[in-house]
Amino acid sequence: MTTQFDRIYHGLSPELGKMRIAASGMAWKGEDSDKMVAMSSADIKWAQWLRVARNYQLRVGLKDRSRETFDGFSREDHDKLAQLIKQHFSVTLETKEVSFKGWNWGVTDFQGQDLAFLVSNKTSFELPLSQVANSNIAGRTEVSLEFATPSGSKKSKSAPDEMAEIRFYVPGTVNRDHGSDA
Amino acid sequence: GTGRNEGKGWKRFQSYKGEAALPKEAESLRIFVDRKAQTIILPIHGFAVPFHINTIKNVSKNEEGEFTYLRVNFQTPGQLAGKKEDTPFEDPDATFIRSITYRSADGHRFDTLSKQITDLKKEVNKREQQKKEMAD
Repeated sequence: MTTQFDRIYHGLSPELGKMRIAASGMAWKGEDSDKMVAMSSADIKWAQWLRVARNYQLRVGLKDRSRETFDGFSREDHDKLAQLIKQHFSVTLETKEVSFKGWNWGVTDFQGQDLAFLVSNKTSFELPLSQVANSNIAGRTEVSLEFATPSGSKKSKSAPDEMAEIRFYVPGTVNRDHGSDA
Repeated sequence: GTGRNEGKGWKRFQSYKGEAALPKEAESLRIFVDRKAQTIILPIHGFAVPFHINTIKNVSKNEEGEFTYLRVNFQTPGQLAGKKEDTPFEDPDATFIRSITYRSADGHRFDTLSKQITDLKKEVNKREQQKKEMAD
C-alpha cells in the first residue's frame, strides 16, 4: 500500500511535488519536471521532523551519510508520517525543537555537515558548510561566513532572498577554547 | 565581560511563544517584517528565523551592479554604539550574530524593507522613551 503526500518541496527548490511512501521506500517526484528522488527502505537510517519556513520538514538520513529534506508537510501529517516510517522502515520520527524566541545570541554547534545556531538549546537555524564560499576572522572575536549565491540572477519577482554573508561576534573564544579555534 | 551592564536589567523579550505563531508569510523564503510581533523574519537556508526588533541595531543598503544588498546589523556587546540598556547581556559568553546580508535583484523591494525595518525600530524606540519619561 502506498501513501501519498501532495504539495511537498525537495530541498530548497521552489518546485512542488508528490511524496510517496511504501514498504519498499520513499520517493519524491516533481510536478513540473521529471525530477525524482528515491530512497529505498534499506537505506533509510533516521528521520527527523522540524518546523521550517515552508511549514514542516521531513529530514531523512541515508546509509551513505547523506540526507534529503522535504518541506511543506502540515502539522497534522506528523502522526501519519511517524506511523508509516515506523511500520515500513523501523525508524522513529524524532522531533527537532526549533527556537522562535527572536534572539541573536546563542551557541554555535558543529553538527555533521552543518553549523547550527542554538538559542536556549533549541535550533534557530543551520548553515550548510558545503555552501560556505569564504570565511574570515577579524580581531579574534569576529567570524564572517560568505555564501555562494547562485549566479543565475533570476529577476523573478517571487525569487527568495539570498543570504550572502553572516557575521558572528564570539567574545568567549579567547578564554574558553572548546575544540575548534573558530 | 565587564559587568558594566549588570544590574541595569534588560527586559526579557520574545518574538513568538511557539511555532504555531509564525506568520504565513514566512513561507515565501523572503524577509518579512511582522509589525505586530515587533519582529523581522529572515530566511536562512530554509529556516524562518525571527529576530525581535530589540536585537536589531539598524539596516544598510547598497547597490553593486544588478544586485542590491541589504545588511541587517544587530546589537552586540563590544560595540562603540554608546550605552544600550536593552542590549541583551544575559550570557556574556554567548555567540552573537552581528550582521546578516541579503542579496536581491529586486532593489525596489529592499528599499521598502529597509524603510519598514527602520520605521519599526524608530516606533519602538519612541515608545520606550515615552515609557521612561512616564516612569521619571
